[in-house]
Amino acid sequence: MPTVRLRDAVEYPAAAQKLFELSRSWFNHDFSEPPAMSRVMAWDGEFGAPHGRAMKRAMTPGEFTRGEKEMVAAAVSGVNACEY
Amino acid sequence: MTGDAVWYEAAQIVGITNVLNVAADTLGVLGAVDEAGAPVEARALFADIRDFYQTDDVPLGFRFIAHDPGYAADVWAATRHAFADHRLPRRFKEALAFAVSMTTRSASGTALHLSQMRRFGVSPRGVVEIVGVTQMFSSYTKIADTLQLEPDMGDIAPVDTTPAPGGPMR
Repeated sequence: MPTVRLRDAVEYPAAAQKLFELSRSWFNHDFSEPPAMSRVMAWDGEFGAPHGRAMKRAMTPGEFTRGEKEMVAAAVSGVNACEY
Repeated sequence: MTGDAVWYEAAQIVGITNVLNVAADTLGVLGAVDEAGAPVEARALFADIRDFYQTDDVPLGFRFIAHDPGYAADVWAATRHAFADHRLPRRFKEALAFAVSMTTRSASGTALHLSQMRRFGVSPRGVVEIVGVTQMFSSYTKIADTLQLEPDMGDIAPVDTTPAPGGPMR
């Protein structure tokens, strides 16, 4: 069970709703609620926004494809023993 | 990156990278095999490894475990197979091993796979692409663990219904 109560999307201000839209677009998936991590990052936009931009920049295709980068991300998460 | 086969290949890279790093980063006290005085099978093994990596030096992990040449040869066979071009190209596999080595704080593994990435044409900017992914997902995983978040994106990926290699369809 999470350490914090994850708020539903409707409990967030308008600025966060825009982040949730970006999240839906990024994953190309219609979530019933934004992913937990999106809601965590939307809690404090001054942290979540630049962190999210850095993530998006890192994941943007360059010398490696988005798919390859998603695989690297999965491996890093696995090595960190993160179930999320 | 759809279909399970590429993920099996990636898992092999993660596993065998740790196999080498755990030896290279911890066995200094054992001492590396001195090639000049090594048995012929160890020298042949080292030659094959040097050829694969196109380096003058055999990676330290192999030089430590070559005290048992038979064991080292089996580890090498698995390593060589895992890193060879199959569905995933060698260049990307080196990048994956680099990310795994960074994540596990393996200085020797990071240096080895960084040099191999560069050999396969990855630029410094390309290296930082992998560094960025590694850093960002090291951050996300720690945030998720701190807040004990539960997985909620596991059903995004499609299920691969094909059988194991050589196996019958269900």
